[in-house]
Amino acid sequence: MDYIIEMVGITKRFPGIVANDNITLQLKKGEIHALLGENGAGKSTLMSVLFGLYQPEEGVIKKDGEVVKVNGPNDATKLGIGMVHQHFKLVHNFTVLENIVLGCETTKRGLLSMDEAREKVVAFSKEYGLEIEPDALISDITVGMQQRTEILKMLYRENEILIFDEPTAVLTPQEIDDLMNIMKNLVAQGKSILFITHKLNEIKAVADRCSVLRKGKYIGTVDVAEASKEELSEMMVGRKVSLEVDKPEMEPGEVILEVSGLTVKNKITGKNVVDNVGFRVRAGEIVCVAGIDGNGQSELVYALSGLVKPDAGSIVINGKEISHETVRARGGDGMAHIPEDRHKHGLVLDYNLAYNLVLQRYFEPKFQKHGFLDYGEVFAYADTLIENFDIRSGQGAKTVVRAMSGGNQQKAIIAREIDRDPKLLIAVQPTRGLDVGAIEYIHERLIEERGKGKGILLVSLELEEALGVSDRTLVIFEGQIVADVDPKEVTYQELGLYMAGSKRGEVVS
Amino acid sequence: MTELEKKKGIAGLLDMSSALSSFAAIAVGLVVGFVVLLISNPGNAVAGFLTLLSSGLGDLKSTGQVLYYATPIIMTGLSVAFASKTGLFNIGASGQFILGAYCAILVSVKLAFLPGWMLCPLAIVAAVAAGAVWGAIPGLLKAWRNVNEVIACIMMNYIGMYLVNYLIIQTVYDQRRNITLAVPRHANVPTLGLDQLFRVGNSPSSANGGIFIAIIGAILIYIVLEKTTFGFEIKACGYNKDAAEYAGINSSRGIIMAMAVAGALAGLGGALLFLSGAGKGIDVVDTLAQEGFNGIPVALLALNNPIGVIFSGLFIAYLTVGGFNMQLYNYAPQAVEIIVSIIIYFSAAALLIKGFIQKIGKRGKEAEEKGGGDE
Amino acid sequence: MSILYFLVQQTMFFSIPLLIVALGGMFSERGGVINIALEGIMIFGAFTGVVFINIVQKSGSAINGQVLLMLGVLVAGAVGVVVSLTHAYAAINLKADQVISGTAINMLAPAFAIFVGRRISERGTQQVHFEDWFRFESVPALGRIPVIGDLLFKNAYLTTYIGFLILLVAWLMLNKTRFGLRLRSCGEHPQAADSVGINVYKMRYIGVMISGFLAGVGGLVFVIPTSREFNATVSGYGFLALAVLIFGQWRPLRILGAAFFFGLLKAIAASSSGLPILKDLSITAYFYKMMPFIVTLVVLTFTSKKSQAPRAEGIPYDKGVR
Repeated sequence: MDYIIEMVGITKRFPGIVANDNITLQLKKGEIHALLGENGAGKSTLMSVLFGLYQPEEGVIKKDGEVVKVNGPNDATKLGIGMVHQHFKLVHNFTVLENIVLGCETTKRGLLSMDEAREKVVAFSKEYGLEIEPDALISDITVGMQQRTEILKMLYRENEILIFDEPTAVLTPQEIDDLMNIMKNLVAQGKSILFITHKLNEIKAVADRCSVLRKGKYIGTVDVAEASKEELSEMMVGRKVSLEVDKPEMEPGEVILEVSGLTVKNKITGKNVVDNVGFRVRAGEIVCVAGIDGNGQSELVYALSGLVKPDAGSIVINGKEISHETVRARGGDGMAHIPEDRHKHGLVLDYNLAYNLVLQRYFEPKFQKHGFLDYGEVFAYADTLIENFDIRSGQGAKTVVRAMSGGNQQKAIIAREIDRDPKLLIAVQPTRGLDVGAIEYIHERLIEERGKGKGILLVSLELEEALGVSDRTLVIFEGQIVADVDPKEVTYQELGLYMAGSKRGEVVS
Repeated sequence: MTELEKKKGIAGLLDMSSALSSFAAIAVGLVVGFVVLLISNPGNAVAGFLTLLSSGLGDLKSTGQVLYYATPIIMTGLSVAFASKTGLFNIGASGQFILGAYCAILVSVKLAFLPGWMLCPLAIVAAVAAGAVWGAIPGLLKAWRNVNEVIACIMMNYIGMYLVNYLIIQTVYDQRRNITLAVPRHANVPTLGLDQLFRVGNSPSSANGGIFIAIIGAILIYIVLEKTTFGFEIKACGYNKDAAEYAGINSSRGIIMAMAVAGALAGLGGALLFLSGAGKGIDVVDTLAQEGFNGIPVALLALNNPIGVIFSGLFIAYLTVGGFNMQLYNYAPQAVEIIVSIIIYFSAAALLIKGFIQKIGKRGKEAEEKGGGDE
Repeated sequence: MSILYFLVQQTMFFSIPLLIVALGGMFSERGGVINIALEGIMIFGAFTGVVFINIVQKSGSAINGQVLLMLGVLVAGAVGVVVSLTHAYAAINLKADQVISGTAINMLAPAFAIFVGRRISERGTQQVHFEDWFRFESVPALGRIPVIGDLLFKNAYLTTYIGFLILLVAWLMLNKTRFGLRLRSCGEHPQAADSVGINVYKMRYIGVMISGFLAGVGGLVFVIPTSREFNATVSGYGFLALAVLIFGQWRPLRILGAAFFFGLLKAIAASSSGLPILKDLSITAYFYKMMPFIVTLVVLTFTSKKSQAPRAEGIPYDKGVR
């Protein structure tokens, strides 16, 4: 019995769905154990069960071989379980130290006393190589330091079992390497780590064993050293996945989009978040902007689409300067935009599917007369798109979009944007949070549009996507385009250096 | 197909579960009201309560009074409901209402030489414009500087109240009675014979053509919201401002327009009350106009549906008349306000309860489609 | 000089209740619950406090005035807590719209005060009277200090000093205690608080209850120096306190400044016709009355884009959503 924590035969049902179906997960003391699965595989539900947020219908949790009852996060803490959440749980206007002690503060005569805590935190920080500034506000520090703060929170609570939920999504390749070292260091000091991810490279880099979930079911646990990436990937998806994207060779045509000197300042700090950016997108070409999240991608896209006014520079579509035009006018000029956040920008979740499908076009003469909407036309149009793009929903065009699945919501957006027959399609993280099937569908659609001679600007955080789908890859770092490379010739390592700003390439715009 | 869709759309309007939650809130409010009566004076409680419930239809004059009281609160209710469709809580109807009322009185007193067919519409237009301006200011601040509209509206209520009191003293003040000068008879909205239709003996009610203006207003607002591209746009802004902007809808304009329309509706309510021929004037006291706040329960009970507002406005007015008649049994008419506030409280909660029921129903389906409980 | 003393004393009467109530609002909002019911809770507190004082005074009791005032303050605070619980229940448990449930309380309060007032007053009017047993002509010893004694320790009420005490305690609690740290975390990032085992619901309940207590107290503190009867209104002071809270950017010391600024404007408005200098300026009293609200709007206009408002304010916390 060398398992420090075990979840045995866990079954958790929600109305109409078995989110966890007889899942077993066993963590050995002192190992790094990866939990692998696609979005929707049941990883989050399983963790919620572990933290007592859900009570499973079947199955037990064991600590050191003894069955334990977990009724809430406090119980989990008592068992020595801590977690670094994908979205950090840090209070932005508290200091690093305040965030670490929150919930287990020490007081003297009723007043907070932080001195002991500070000593303890500084000691941990030295011991594990977790560099932090105890008195800096969270809002002023880097993402990497925020993550180290989260790790120190667990150490401060003397947690033995550390769970990392998709910890690398926000980090540069070099920061990822640092994190991997920290994890190895923690294990060497006797901690046990559960590492939730869908990135096979990282599993191969640090994990000892790996458990795989698929569609709520437990697929198996393997020794990482003995399994290939292809095998792991097949366990995760359930079929052989070609890691390559098929796309025919194409000779790019005339220039569709020409951006030069584009600059966007942050309204509060005055810093250039998009800094003198220039590039071109040609017909029949997929150009990808790769980079770590938060390096100005969003602002670049906002400026291109008209949501934000650029402070300098020009944007030319088919020879027409559009940088002072409204969002709607740019649509008229042939720009379509699949936004980064489908819930924030892409959809009015409380409108039905038909309304969402005409969100960009309701004002066209086809859909309205003298300011009155023609519902007949609206619904007829929606039905056409639903059929052509295979959008599935409970009640067809009348379904409130909130009730649709993420994949179908994204299909609706893609249908709407592609059907506008744009010359330039801006697609921002179009596959975020989707399963492999949906990802393949979307990649195929993008390549299809490329085949029709559209110019496509793809913004992606996923290296595989950035290199696999695109014809040309630009790397953005701190608002600047620092490299313009051929994806067939560049390596991951090289791209990582560009993304971290430690290398600059030749940029031909 | 399309005809069918349209029919279903209208049926969806009267969403039963929503309506039920409003009725539940009313029922709880009435029960609490009865308990209050029972505690304060057990002997008269039953009789008093029956008066409250029935006297709005007890005689024709009372029914006329219901129409009279309903008119302004239908307008302020529409004001609150319309703003809600844009995702804004217009707690500023009180200020917009009183600005409108003042301008209507000002125009009708100062331009009394004009014939009635000109004077009355002119006074109403002035009220609408003033209300629109007063509503547009918080809208502007929201759109331009992201100022929370609830706080801005509260500030505007007080600024409006003090400003109107000041302006009254400067322009149309009856110092002896500490009230505005009387509105000339020919400035009033025509009664259309309603006052005589709804009367008891020789005593006419205060019913007048204003109620028709309110009803027509509600229908127009319904059409604007449900049938026009403008309605499509402002509802999109209300549900999701970011998505509206992404789709090229000018959300700043939407917010300002929506608040201006909301203000105009409340301002119109002010005109209709003080041009009703009932001889009412604005008292110069430092108290906010209650009609503006009564728009909140009216809109809430109607679930922000403009047609529903007509009925919920009539209902609140019906209770108000009942409350007055309850004084016969030595109950203060404030019993009605107690009931209304309980109704507000529970309709806030009822929306939640309704949402909860729907969520349970929906979760199954959603989970099925998503194929897992993950993010 | 005597004009200055008069103005300072008047300013105290208006500022202290604003200070107390705004500090109350601060506890609610820093915990994440918007409390626009402050006005209504003040009315409830003032009404029950005055009724209590009225009953004791009429009973022929020879109780010391200051003791009676303290008891009245406790009664008002206790009633404020009870009323605030209904708001907390709607806002926290039912996850209702916090503005709407606050509006309901604001509507209920004057109706309740009038309805009950008429029931219990002997002449059937809504006013409830009390006698002023509470005013100090001069605080022993302190009142004789030159200038300061005249400014702060003459013609004063115990409640003024209680106001300052509340400020001190509030500042300590919010910034220096475990409770304050936890409360603030619930107002900024309740998911973070929950993840480290803090009971968000409980903290928010406590925040709202403190706001209820202080608003109830503030209601009575407002009525005592400025009137001899309670007439079912606190003249919009609850809303003004909300403005003070925003103007003070949810921080105790800034709230103090805002409360005194608004109190001064109120004092000027109330006495503008009586004070020679102000009379000569011939600015209407309405101008001073409007000023606090206009100033707040202006401040909001220039601060809302980077407001210090608690981030999770007004958003019901749902444990299920992590």
